[in-house]
Amino acid sequence: MPELARLRTARAKLWEHPAAEARVIAALDRTLELWAAPDSEWRARLGEQQTLYSAAVLELGLVRAVEHWTAERMRELRARELPPDAHLPAVTALWLAGSIPPAMFQAMLLPLLAGSALLVKPPSSDPHSPELFAASIRAVDPGVADCIAITHEHEAFRNADALIAYGRDETLSALRGNFPDDRPFVGHGHKLSVAAVGRDAELEAAASAVALDAALWDGRGCLSPAWVWIEDRQRPRTERFCSALARALARLARELPRGTLSAAEQAWVRDSRARMAVRDGSRVWTSESGGRADTAWTIALEARTNFALPGMLRTLSVVPVPDAAGVLERCSALAPHLSCIGHCGWGTRTELLEEAVQKGMGSRLCPSGTMQLPSLDWKHDGHAALASLRLPTRSRQAELS
Amino acid sequence: MSRAELDRRVLEWIGEGAAAPADDERFDRLARDLFAYQYAHNPPYRRLCELAGRGPEQVSHWSEIPAASTGAFKEARLATFPPEREVRAFRTSGSTTRRRGVSSLDTLDLYEASALASFRAFVCPDLERTRFAVLAPDATAAPDSSLSHLFEVAVREFGNPRSRFFVGAQDWNPNALIRDLEQTREPVAIIGTAFAFVHLVDRVEQRGVALRLPAGSRVMETGGFKGRSRELTRDELHGAISRRLGIGPERIVNQYGMCELASQYYEPTLRTGAPTRSKQAPPWLRTRVVDPETLEALPAGVSGMLVHYDLANTGSVLAVQTSDRGRLGPEGLEVLGRLEGAEARGCSIAADALLAGADPGA
Repeated sequence: MPELARLRTARAKLWEHPAAEARVIAALDRTLELWAAPDSEWRARLGEQQTLYSAAVLELGLVRAVEHWTAERMRELRARELPPDAHLPAVTALWLAGSIPPAMFQAMLLPLLAGSALLVKPPSSDPHSPELFAASIRAVDPGVADCIAITHEHEAFRNADALIAYGRDETLSALRGNFPDDRPFVGHGHKLSVAAVGRDAELEAAASAVALDAALWDGRGCLSPAWVWIEDRQRPRTERFCSALARALARLARELPRGTLSAAEQAWVRDSRARMAVRDGSRVWTSESGGRADTAWTIALEARTNFALPGMLRTLSVVPVPDAAGVLERCSALAPHLSCIGHCGWGTRTELLEEAVQKGMGSRLCPSGTMQLPSLDWKHDGHAALASLRLPTRSRQAELS
Repeated sequence: MSRAELDRRVLEWIGEGAAAPADDERFDRLARDLFAYQYAHNPPYRRLCELAGRGPEQVSHWSEIPAASTGAFKEARLATFPPEREVRAFRTSGSTTRRRGVSSLDTLDLYEASALASFRAFVCPDLERTRFAVLAPDATAAPDSSLSHLFEVAVREFGNPRSRFFVGAQDWNPNALIRDLEQTREPVAIIGTAFAFVHLVDRVEQRGVALRLPAGSRVMETGGFKGRSRELTRDELHGAISRRLGIGPERIVNQYGMCELASQYYEPTLRTGAPTRSKQAPPWLRTRVVDPETLEALPAGVSGMLVHYDLANTGSVLAVQTSDRGRLGPEGLEVLGRLEGAEARGCSIAADALLAGADPGA
């Protein structure tokens, strides 16, 4: 366990100083500034190393995601969630999954902010983002970066003081099973999100906002809308929304071009389109390039109000739902798997959605157009951003034993 | 043109045998006539064609016919006839949490004629009848399995009275077959699913024996593993079969088929006497290897997504887009694997698995 021992030493050295909190926050804040800078060298390096996203998506997605993660917010978050006597893990292991760079940055940032050192297993789908984020922290403050180790060795994980894991349910189960019961384990399984378009929505604006949510990170993440539920009893309105959405996605295909899809992903889009097209009463809109359909984006207006065929990779299912009760019913049915609800056109009835989220139907409610921009203090899957890492106090440990 | 006339023309070609010469003009003419019929009589498929902007007027060559993906068979009934005329429905294999594709048939004549023609050419090219040991359930136990139906008609057509199905609907015990094979002095054709062969060779190995089946014996295996056994590569499986059953690679045939197609590809091992990875099809089945982004055909030797055109699919859709990866070469089609895993790269999820049981609108 030399890596763990090294991390414990580095963390002790950093946090023995009374000004450690300010130093860590300053380093993280400066690091995020580097990533959001107009000609960010770090963003450019990430763009060179990964092929999933276009430079435009990397720029807009990263800049907008981190711009609210300021030093002030970090101080507030610590003050709110970590009382002075909070007992925190010396080393947190972080098992990453997926391919959304700011999601990985946030996952790395929070344990560091809590005062923990970090042992990170990068995802196979994007090993570059965590490595570059760690390198960028080192460029700002090597003392803080000494508290991060990137590893592909899984053995050290069970000896960490806390474990945060992202991934498939089977992966989480296996990790949890191998991790001591008396230490914090925070699991983030696969989830999906929806856009709920209310009856008062202005269709062009709503379509632009939903299209942005779908286009950022190319619909690869848990915060990408898998379905659009549009409150509507008249199909013509939904058709007008779909037409507006098609225009918005076509515009974004130029302004925020999609990255490279694997052959399997291209085949998935082709298969999804065929599945959507043959369904009774459905209508499908697709991208075109040179007069022929390519796989850049797809919209299906579904006649059946069911859950089939959620979107990803800029493929969207639009499902008309007669009223708010229908939307809430769907939220309830999806509750164990629901992450974020993006909303527009709900007016004062937004409180219905707020209540739904409070009841556990998802863990985040936000205006459409901001689904990819979670706040630093988002209780992701119901877990407090920092407080979920708190270890039991000695008296509590005695109780447990 | 009527369906009966189309069926007659296809059956006429099938009657010439799987080894009949390829005829480009005949295939093109028949494919476009069949497409026009399916476009007119298969409404879900017509919607798909309309999305592609192609009807019979826009198609000047069979390769331009829009294909329905295998996933589309999970979403709609892709048939040119009303439900009351259905005589059999074949379903894709799958778990309870996933939708299954359905191939609806109003006649078994074309399926059986096509399947038997290829089976004869590639599994029984040198014999009239033999003893079959089938490593799959029979059609009674698995009425919606196209493979079980194929095996049943093959045994009926080419089997002798000692032929037997060794697998039940849910499970099977290889011991009875092993005891049988240990005592047989008669050539045997063992046909079945790849995962059943894994169970068989594993059990033979556990018993510490290596069988030496009589000359003339052969193996036909097909399909993947789908979590039903440990996974082996083709070479590993064929090597294990050779070692444990005493049937050399030159007597092992891999078949490639799917429930959405009436016709199948086979390795011509028993025709040529040489193991090969290339598969051959009867002349009424053709395949394009395409770029999944553009759907343009790829040059020979370049791998891409497989789209099959099966003229024996008169009652459904003749053009079927798969999630299989392969390439065409001078010897035939090489199937390289599946184009799967799209869901795994993001953290979005495979919906039909996730949402089973959570669908208020279904």
